[in-house]
Amino acid sequence: MSRAVIWSFLVVSLVLLSIPATSLADETVCLQCHAGLSGYLSAPVADWRTSVHAENGISCHDCHGGDPTDMAMAMSPDRGFIGAPEYEEVPDFCGRCHVGVAKEYKAGAHGKAIAEGGAQCVICHGNHAVKKASLDLINEEDCTRCHSYERAALIKLSLVETDTMIKEMEHDLDRLYRLGFAIDEMQGTLFNQRNIFHRTFHGVDVERVRKKTGEVQAELAKIKGQVTDIDKTLGQRKLWGSVVIGLFILAGVIFLLVRKAYEEEGG
Amino acid sequence: MTTNVSPPQRRKFLFTMLGGLGALIGAASAWPVFRFLSPIAAGGSGDKVVVARSDVALGKAHFFQYHGKPAVVLQPAPGEFVALSAVCTHLGCVVAWQEQAVEFQCPCHGGRFSPEGKVLGGPPPAPLETFVVELDGDQLKIG
Amino acid sequence: MQPIKWLVDFIDVRLGIKEIYNKELRGYLLPRNVNVWYTLGAVLMALFTLQIITGILLLMFYVPESEKAFASVQHIVNNVPYGWLFRMLHAIGANVIVIALLLHMLSVLFMGSYKGRREFTWLTGFTILNLTLGLCLTGYLLPWSQLSFWATTVATDAAGAIPVVGNYLVEFLRGGPTVDNQTLGRFFALHVVGMPLVLLGLIGAHLFCVKRRGISSAPFGPEYKASEELPFFEHEVHPDGIPFFPNYFVKDAAVISFFIAFMLAIIFYAPGMFFPESAFQPADPFLTPPHIKPEWYFLWAYQTLKIFPSEIIGLGVQVAFMTFLALLPFIDRGPERRPAKRPFFVTCYVLGILLFVAISIWGHYS
Repeated sequence: MSRAVIWSFLVVSLVLLSIPATSLADETVCLQCHAGLSGYLSAPVADWRTSVHAENGISCHDCHGGDPTDMAMAMSPDRGFIGAPEYEEVPDFCGRCHVGVAKEYKAGAHGKAIAEGGAQCVICHGNHAVKKASLDLINEEDCTRCHSYERAALIKLSLVETDTMIKEMEHDLDRLYRLGFAIDEMQGTLFNQRNIFHRTFHGVDVERVRKKTGEVQAELAKIKGQVTDIDKTLGQRKLWGSVVIGLFILAGVIFLLVRKAYEEEGG
Repeated sequence: MTTNVSPPQRRKFLFTMLGGLGALIGAASAWPVFRFLSPIAAGGSGDKVVVARSDVALGKAHFFQYHGKPAVVLQPAPGEFVALSAVCTHLGCVVAWQEQAVEFQCPCHGGRFSPEGKVLGGPPPAPLETFVVELDGDQLKIG
Repeated sequence: MQPIKWLVDFIDVRLGIKEIYNKELRGYLLPRNVNVWYTLGAVLMALFTLQIITGILLLMFYVPESEKAFASVQHIVNNVPYGWLFRMLHAIGANVIVIALLLHMLSVLFMGSYKGRREFTWLTGFTILNLTLGLCLTGYLLPWSQLSFWATTVATDAAGAIPVVGNYLVEFLRGGPTVDNQTLGRFFALHVVGMPLVLLGLIGAHLFCVKRRGISSAPFGPEYKASEELPFFEHEVHPDGIPFFPNYFVKDAAVISFFIAFMLAIIFYAPGMFFPESAFQPADPFLTPPHIKPEWYFLWAYQTLKIFPSEIIGLGVQVAFMTFLALLPFIDRGPERRPAKRPFFVTCYVLGILLFVAISIWGHYS
């Protein structure tokens, strides 16, 4: 194969490899058409590209329905197109996939106040530029748009504590995983508790959140106990290991001294 | 380091030390091998999990731990028992039993499973794992 | 003392072991200028013995079937008492053996010990090196982790570069079009029985060559004599040398102790050194983990393949280099063994080591 062919192949591969996976979804007719429009019709395209949905291959039709392969039928109700939801329809819209969260939300204060303009999913998470949820979504500036910040601050406080615990635990389990320990069961429990924890907030009920985080923290404490036990075992192993290493080094030194004795004898 | 100890005497002393060290190292090596080869007390992955029949009412699902993982046993029809893994095959959340809809729903991304564990809708790529259930008097033996 | 003396006499009267002891151990004289590098042979024998013992122990719980292999290793490491210890001894031991083998080869090259009618010693030794690398490669697959699976896929793929028979050869090595249960089966058989038997035979041959020809003295100091190419067999003796037993034996024992201490230090203080994350994930034929690369002792080959635009050239370069090394005693025929008087050789030697290290580092980061 000639040099030029090799190099151009390499360059082309590099270019292709640098295109993020999401643009493979360029195949959808939705993106093809809307990207070329202007104003509020094309804004969602750029927003969506930065989202956690795009990272995970969730595209327009996954939420809005319609046919992503057929330009003519792309927005046809016959192909399941449901258009953009009204303000009060948003929780059900997102809740088609995020079932647990929607359930918690509707039972809580925000959900019950939706007819009066209470906050729904899009108000905090955005609609197209949705990022992975973080505690920063609860902040004074945003929450005080409608009411005072005290309750939100209390909820955030109890959430921060648990969030830190969860992150620490994920870190611990990863460390143990890298040492060859079977942490599947603990990881499953942690995953489950994290999900319960994330869902419960959406009921925006201070007492309920406190109670639930209390329960979650109790489960996390159990995992922490197991991790501590494993760490103790590791510490013991290291201790005995060090002793045996010392014995072998000592043996080596003594053998050398014996050798020296033989040398002095003329051997 | 000048000593008045002759090389043969030194050697003898060193050999004694070596003997002691050798015994220690020998014990430190033999102990793990002995424990490694010793039979482990029976129990663990081979065992069946027992659930009381009375825990599983008609039309209801009972969640329990099966060898370290969440599982569920339900009674869809009188006298019929089904045991499944309760771990959603999408991303690992624990599914919830919806009594009215007679199906499992995953609270994370809306995956739905039939009472036999078949995927009815949503993102899950595979059905829920089934476990063998044996009815023994008033006990259900699973596994 | 009495019972031991009685036992020795009992056996001696029947088998004459005292005579063997006096001739082969006490009477086996080594040159006075023998240095610490001469202990590496004994170190390697001790390490190989450890591999066999830990390997047999692991065999008691390991299941060589693709659906069960990974779980069986997890069982050993998590549930079986001290299973983690024997697994680590075996895995780290393999790496330390490769280090010791390379050091042994480097010292033989530096001292020109392959000269003076010692070609068979070199050839058996070089084959042992390659067989050990083969043992490492086959052993690597057995835990059936992501690392195992994909490293084996990449390594067996290399054979595909050979023209005409390449693709068939890859399938032959794998027992099928892809790495699967039948690959595990044959790698297991080779790793556990096939290669160890051949290895034992080769080590025996290697030791026979060393003892039959006689150990060479180090090419340093005033007693140096250039190696002669006599037209008849000569067993090299050192009448004013030191007895192997107990005088040099204790030096062997000392270095063996230090090597084991070194191995244990890695196990207890840097256990993750030879275990990247993909070593803990069960094999997934549909998902290649990012940054998959072979073990450090194969990085040079991996990177060499990547440097050359054509796979067959890359493979050819490696084969040429290995062939050159294998035939070195037939290429370098000069009688001079002192490194100071072999400037060309020593330059190539140093450059070779630097190149090996540089290409390996490059392979690690690319």
